[in-house]
Amino acid sequence: MYVMKNALKCIGRSKGRNILIGIIVLVISVSACLGLSIRQAAENAKEESLSTMNITASISVDRQSMMKGMQEQGGFDPSSFQAGMQEIQELTVEEMQTYAQAESVSGFTYSLTATVNGGDGLEPVTDSSSAEDDTAQSGGRNEMPGMPGQEMGGMGVDPMGNQGDFTVVGYSGEDAMTDFQNGICVIEEGNIFEEGTASYDCILSEELAIFNGLSVGDTILIENPNAQGESYTLTITGLYSNSESTTADSGFMRGFSTSSDPANAIYMSYPALKSIVDASSAAAVTEIDETTGMETSTAIRASAAGTYRFADVQAYERFEEEARAMGLSDSFTITSSDLTAFENSLVPLESLSTMAGYFLLVVLAIGGVILIVLNLFNVRERKYEVGVLTAIGMKKSRVAMQFLCEIFVVTLAAVVIGAGIGAVSSVPVTNSLLANQIQSQQNSREQTQRNFGRGGFDPGEGTDVSIPDVNEPGQQPGGMGQAMDFVSEISSAMDVTVLLELLGIGVLLTLLASAVSMIFIMRYEPLKILANRD
Amino acid sequence: MAVLSLCNVCFSYGTKNVLDGVSYEFEKGKIYAVVGKSGAGKTTLLSVLSGLASPSSGAIYYNGEDIRTIDKYRFRSKYVGVIFQSFNLLTKFTALENVELSMDIAAVKAKDKRERAMALLTGVGLDEEEANRRVLKLSGGQQQRVAIARALSYNPDVILADEPTGNLDGETQREIMEIFRDLAQQGKCVILVSHSPQVAEACDEIYELKRMRG
Repeated sequence: MYVMKNALKCIGRSKGRNILIGIIVLVISVSACLGLSIRQAAENAKEESLSTMNITASISVDRQSMMKGMQEQGGFDPSSFQAGMQEIQELTVEEMQTYAQAESVSGFTYSLTATVNGGDGLEPVTDSSSAEDDTAQSGGRNEMPGMPGQEMGGMGVDPMGNQGDFTVVGYSGEDAMTDFQNGICVIEEGNIFEEGTASYDCILSEELAIFNGLSVGDTILIENPNAQGESYTLTITGLYSNSESTTADSGFMRGFSTSSDPANAIYMSYPALKSIVDASSAAAVTEIDETTGMETSTAIRASAAGTYRFADVQAYERFEEEARAMGLSDSFTITSSDLTAFENSLVPLESLSTMAGYFLLVVLAIGGVILIVLNLFNVRERKYEVGVLTAIGMKKSRVAMQFLCEIFVVTLAAVVIGAGIGAVSSVPVTNSLLANQIQSQQNSREQTQRNFGRGGFDPGEGTDVSIPDVNEPGQQPGGMGQAMDFVSEISSAMDVTVLLELLGIGVLLTLLASAVSMIFIMRYEPLKILANRD
Repeated sequence: MAVLSLCNVCFSYGTKNVLDGVSYEFEKGKIYAVVGKSGAGKTTLLSVLSGLASPSSGAIYYNGEDIRTIDKYRFRSKYVGVIFQSFNLLTKFTALENVELSMDIAAVKAKDKRERAMALLTGVGLDEEEANRRVLKLSGGQQQRVAIARALSYNPDVILADEPTGNLDGETQREIMEIFRDLAQQGKCVILVSHSPQVAEACDEIYELKRMRG
C-alpha cells in the first residue's frame, strides 16, 4: 500500500519528467488508438456486412480449370477445348434443384434466359445509327462481322446459334426478380405476369414500349433468330421502369449488342419461356458441321441459371462440400459474385487497415525505445533514492514495484486521455484517410481504363457498405468501365475491443519500459551508492 | 546479555584487509564510541553491524541469532536504526514524510503514524513547521535530527550513528549527544562512530580500531 502511496508522491514531485513521459505515451496512445480503430472499423465493417448480406452463389462450368488441365496435359488446343466444352452439358434446372436440397442452402431461385429477334415490326431500343438496318433481312442487328452467330474464322458456325436483338428472361418466381426486389425496376403501368403461369404474358420496359408505340394489353411477336418463320406471340401485361437502363454502365457492351441493353429485356414467367424454348427445340433442325464435327441447332438459344441463397458465409463455404457429395462434377465451379463484389468494396478499407497496422508497429517500436531510454535516465537519476530506500530496509523488489507503479500511473493517465482524443478523432481521421485511399484506388483504375482507351468512369457515391448488385446477367463486378462501390465511410471506430487493446498496449509499454530499469534497481548496492555519494 | 556480538569478524576490500578478527559485545542501555584513525575501518564496522555489508569471515549475532539467518532488509528496517554521516534522507520529501516512510517500510502497525512521526520529530527538537518542510530546506543540524527521528521511528534496539556530530556546531553537538544519552537510558544500545574525543568521552565505552596494514 505504502508503495503506491510513495509512487503517487514521487509522481507529484517530479512533474517535469512525468509530464514528458505522459506526452510521449499520449502521442503513442493517440496513434495506437487511431491505428487500432481503423483496424477494428475494417473488421466491424466486414463482419456487419457479412451478417446482413444475402449471399448468393451459382454453379457454372469451370472453363478456367479445364483450360489449365489441357495445358498441363500437353498444350491447349482451341478445337479440342470447344469439343470438350460441348460434351459438358450445362446443368439443367432439375439438377440445380437437386443441389438446392443441400442443408446449407436457404433458398433457391432460377431463371431461363433466351435471345430472340423481334417480329411484326418490333424494334429494339438503340442509340446507334445502324438501327436503320433491315432486321427482317439480316435476321437481327447483332449479326455483325466477327460477332457471335457468324462464321468464326476457321472454326465453322457458332454451335451456340445466333444472337438476337432482345433478351427474354423467364423467372421461377418473384423472389428471383432481384431488380424488382431491390427497387431498380418498378411496374409503372399494368401488372406483372402471374407467378408460375404458362401463358405467354410478359412485361416490357417503358422505353421499349414507347419506342414501338406499345401499351398494356397489346401483343408482340418474337422470332427465333436461328430459324426464319418460327415466332411466338406474347401479351404485354405491364410496363416497368428501370433506373439503371439510362446509366452509362453497360454502354460499352450496348455498342455490340442491343440485347445487352436493359431496355430491350422482356420478362416473363419461367414455365412460359420454357414452353417456348421446348417448342423451339422440338421444331429445330440439328446438323453436324463437317469441318469441326460439332453439332449445330436452329433452336432458340437459351441458358438456365440458378441462384442459391445462403444464411451466412459459413453456409456458402459448406455448400461446395455438400454439392460435391451430392455428385457435382469437378467440371463445375461454385462462385459467389456477391462475395467478390463485397471483397472488392473493402479494398480501400483493408489497405488502410494494413497501413494502420504497420504504422502501429512503428509507433510502438519508436515509442517503446524512447520510453525505455527515459526510464533508464530516470533510474540513474534516482540512484541515490534507490540507495537510501534499500539502506533503510525497503526491499529492492518493492523499490522496483514503486518505480513500476509510477510509470504505470503516468502511462494509464496518458492512455485514458489518448483514448478520449482517439475516440473523438478516430472517425473523422479514418474517414478522411479512407477518402484519400478511395481516391487513390479510383485514380489508379481510371488510369488503367484510360490506358485501354476506354475513358474514365463515374466513381459514384459510396455508402456505408455498398455492395454492387451482381445477381443480374451482365452485372459482373469489376467489369469493363464499371464503377466500384467502395466502403467509403465508417460510423464508429472505437469500441471496447479497441479500448482493451489500447490498455494492453499501455501495460505492455509500462512493463517494457520498466523491465530495463528493474534490472538496474536489482543490481544496485546501497552501500556503494551511498559511499559514492559521501 | 549482549544485543549485538561480533565474533572474529574480518572484512576486506579486495586484497586490503580493513577489519581483522574483530570480536566485541554491545549491550543495551549503553553508549559505545567506536574510535580510530581515518581508514581504520570505523564506517566499515558500522556497515557490517547494520547489515549493509557482509563480513568476509566471522559472525555477528543479534540477541544471540546469527544475522545471516535474518533477512537483511528486515534486520535493517526493524532491529537496527542507522544514522548515516551524510544523513541519507529523501531530499524531495518533508521531514515528516521521511519518518513516516521509514515506519511504513518497517511495517509499523499504528493508526496514528503521522502523530507518532510528529512526536518523534518534536522529541528531537523540530517544530511542526520544520517537520513539514522539505529536507533540502533544513539545516545540517535539523537534518541530523530528522535522521535520528527516522532511525527511532520503528523503535529498534540498536542505534548506529556514523559521525553524528561531525558537521554540527558545539551547541547542537551537545543537544544531539543528550538525545543519545536519553535513548541509552530508555534501554537502547547506541553505537557511535566518531573521531571526536569529546564524543568519545561522553560515551560509556570506547572501542578503538587499529588501522590494518596490507
